[in-house]
Amino acid sequence: MSSADFTLIREATVPRLRRLRGHGLTIVAGLVVLAILLLAVIGPSISPFDPTVADAEPFLPPPNLSAWPGLLWAALSGAGTPVHWFGTDASGLDVFSRVISAPRTDLSIAVLANGFALLIGVPAGLLAGYFRNWGTETLMRVSDVLQSFPVFISAMILVALAGQSTVNIVAALAVLYSPIYVRLMRAEVMTQGARGMVEASRALGSSEVAIAIRHVLPNSLGPTLVQSSVTIGFAILLTAGLSFVGAGVRPPTPEWGLMISNGASGIMLGQWWPSVFPGIAISLTVFSFAALGDVLERAYRS
Amino acid sequence: MTMPLDATRQAPASAGQSREADLAPAILEASGLTVGYGAPPPIVAGFDLTIRRGEFVGLLGESGCGKSTAAYALLGLARPPGRISAGRVAFKGQDLLTMPAARQREIRGKHIGLIVQNPRGALNPMLRVGRQIGNVWRAHNAGSATRAEEHAVEMLKLVGINDPKRRTEAFAHELSGGMAQRVLIAIALSSTPELLIADEPTSGLDVTIQAQLLDQMWQSTRRTHSSVLLITQETGIVANYCDRVLVMREGRIVEDMTAAAYRRAPRRSLLGAGNKAKTLATPGEDDQAAPVLAVDHVSRFFPVPGSTKRVQAVSDVSFDIAAGETLGLVGESGSGKTTVGRCLLRLIEPSEGRVLYRGEPLNTLGKTGMRRIRSKLQIVLQDPYDSLDPRWSILQTLSEPLKLHTDLSGAGRAKRVEELLAQVDLPKTVAALRPRDLGSGALQRINIARALACAPDFIVLDEPTSVLAPAARTSLVELLLRLQAELGVSFLFISHDLTTVSQICHRIAVMYLSQVVEVGTTEQVFRDPQHPYTRALLASHLDPHPEERRVDRAVQERLAGEIPSPIDLPKGCYLQSRCPHAVERCATEPQKLVRAADGRMLRCWRVLADELGGSDIPLVHDA
Repeated sequence: MSSADFTLIREATVPRLRRLRGHGLTIVAGLVVLAILLLAVIGPSISPFDPTVADAEPFLPPPNLSAWPGLLWAALSGAGTPVHWFGTDASGLDVFSRVISAPRTDLSIAVLANGFALLIGVPAGLLAGYFRNWGTETLMRVSDVLQSFPVFISAMILVALAGQSTVNIVAALAVLYSPIYVRLMRAEVMTQGARGMVEASRALGSSEVAIAIRHVLPNSLGPTLVQSSVTIGFAILLTAGLSFVGAGVRPPTPEWGLMISNGASGIMLGQWWPSVFPGIAISLTVFSFAALGDVLERAYRS
Repeated sequence: MTMPLDATRQAPASAGQSREADLAPAILEASGLTVGYGAPPPIVAGFDLTIRRGEFVGLLGESGCGKSTAAYALLGLARPPGRISAGRVAFKGQDLLTMPAARQREIRGKHIGLIVQNPRGALNPMLRVGRQIGNVWRAHNAGSATRAEEHAVEMLKLVGINDPKRRTEAFAHELSGGMAQRVLIAIALSSTPELLIADEPTSGLDVTIQAQLLDQMWQSTRRTHSSVLLITQETGIVANYCDRVLVMREGRIVEDMTAAAYRRAPRRSLLGAGNKAKTLATPGEDDQAAPVLAVDHVSRFFPVPGSTKRVQAVSDVSFDIAAGETLGLVGESGSGKTTVGRCLLRLIEPSEGRVLYRGEPLNTLGKTGMRRIRSKLQIVLQDPYDSLDPRWSILQTLSEPLKLHTDLSGAGRAKRVEELLAQVDLPKTVAALRPRDLGSGALQRINIARALACAPDFIVLDEPTSVLAPAARTSLVELLLRLQAELGVSFLFISHDLTTVSQICHRIAVMYLSQVVEVGTTEQVFRDPQHPYTRALLASHLDPHPEERRVDRAVQERLAGEIPSPIDLPKGCYLQSRCPHAVERCATEPQKLVRAADGRMLRCWRVLADELGGSDIPLVHDA
């Protein structure tokens, strides 16, 4: 009798990763993100030159494309001298080493900023969505005010006021990105809070705090985590942007924005390599994080 | 001005309808109609159909069987990417599928009208409804805009809308669902089509409104002598309105019979054999015993934001429930029955009145006191999936109440969970699964098991069967009856499904517009309903009756008009504006719930004064 309505739904138990299949772009984006994460860990230790010590001629151009296979072979077989793959910049720093060392700076700033933004935004959003009173309404208005300023300008002002340090950059980005999470979290909490499971748990005698933390919070985190991927991408861009205008990390720390900024003046003279390679790296990274966020969102919604 | 209806085409007497229809010429013939959406198999495959003039044909089938697709194909339409790949549709002998598009359009709308499922979605939100009716008429008839306006008023009158002149000025969002559906019928009928195709026209409407609307549609089409193809999932509708019944399954018509034969045929019914009395446990016989739960003049209103007005969700509701008893709370959507259920458990605080659990008033209890009593008062919600945490395994879900109210260890809880699963007929392996792995019938059992975890005395069942498939519904009712017999628990069974209510309840309270209007034993309420609303509600219950159709009998217990807004409630009796028995006094005198001679409670002075006489509703159910 009961076996008739006791149905196992197989489709829903398909592993999440398998659903990501069949998207070439997704795979590329995923690989780039993995590579960036990897470089953040081991980048500085595998770079052929010290990224912060200038010991070569300034403005050495990258080797000709036709010479690359031979040079690659030599480098991989351990023979020959280290090559300046991407050339050197105005100070004689190796561009390639700096490009692969920069993720440690950029990514750690972005990931930390995003992490702190989550730490601020998720509890605040949970409070604002679950307990709706004048206090949480005030919180929302504060978050609206924060969101109403352009992020880049606010970040510049905050860093300028607090002092130009990595810690302050992380703090500024965390404060500026947290309203996104407050909003997202609040909206999702309001949806989840209206579900029968909340009422059922209330009827069982659970306290409101227990319901909020044990039922509503875990079920509301999805969109927030999806947004994280996008936010990290933009935080990298913002970090680079701050360095570009001189409000970010200080030279000679390897950082993409800083490298673009330093190399910008040489572009008119035909010295494109100090700027273009870090530029490509930023574009690829931001794009890949955004694409991954998109895929995660689709997987979450289906 | 004249009605656009041909006065000479008088409808024949309904009794001889089916016989005459056999002789009448075919209006629409379809053969081998096949519609597919890309990949095979086609949704509609080899669909054959003949509709004769003046015939009211029901097309019955479960959702997803291709009913709507077939209906559209009859008009030569297919929703992209669907395509009509084979077959022939002949309208009065002309092939509809091969004729030029302009001629097709003329036939659609002028000769064949279509009523779709979602009335408000089908109306243009930017145009007044009078314009919309007029536009359709002008597309097929030569006439001025003024003439079209007049026509629109006529059409609205035909479909039974009060004050049609004013209603032509309304926009779609100003109409209730039932009213919008009538406007659609008016649009479909505006060119006096010879065939009307209605695709589940009453899905989502309340039963009394549904009956009102189908009655009106039946009368209107009989007057215009149109044929009707009514597509529905409800056996009650076809059995009560149609001349002929077609049953569709997997894109094909599998049965074709007269409605009389259909009604007499052994019921492939929603409910198997009605086996009510045999398992219904007798509640506590001691009349002196205190009720488990007593509801004492409970009201609840919600303030309307930005206004001093308030929504009256529950007004002055009183009843009590004895140990081991099931009280049914029936009423249409918006009547306040769900709010009553929530008020009993203080999930919503009553604005006035009190609820007593074994003589102890709940509203004076503090947080800890209430939490203690929570284990004794439980609720099972309507949507089984929604009321379970999707991230929690069944074991975790069922352990939640045990953690809150018992000192059991982890192993002790696991053992109790196994017992609970056994109690609701689920294998113990279910404990490791998550809600998404289970079907809705099994999930509702989990919800019941969770409610039973701390051995409650009383459970509110808030439409627990409404989202279940018929088979699962039957087995859940059996389960509830068994649990009550074994555990002696009391139920408040909230539902609008009268069939289920009649099977499971000892007593029934009927709600209308925030008030309880009648409380009596199941026997009293179903066999001899007294309050005019109860009578109309039971008469609207379209259960197939073996002998006759609703349209064949002189239905007196029919309500008129719309349900009033709970913000501006009538001054006197709340039913007064819709009641067929209303007199002047009803408009001014608020009604009180009073005990009648036979023990039931009633809220109607005319019934109590014995002014109405018995009702003539044929029995809906045999007990």
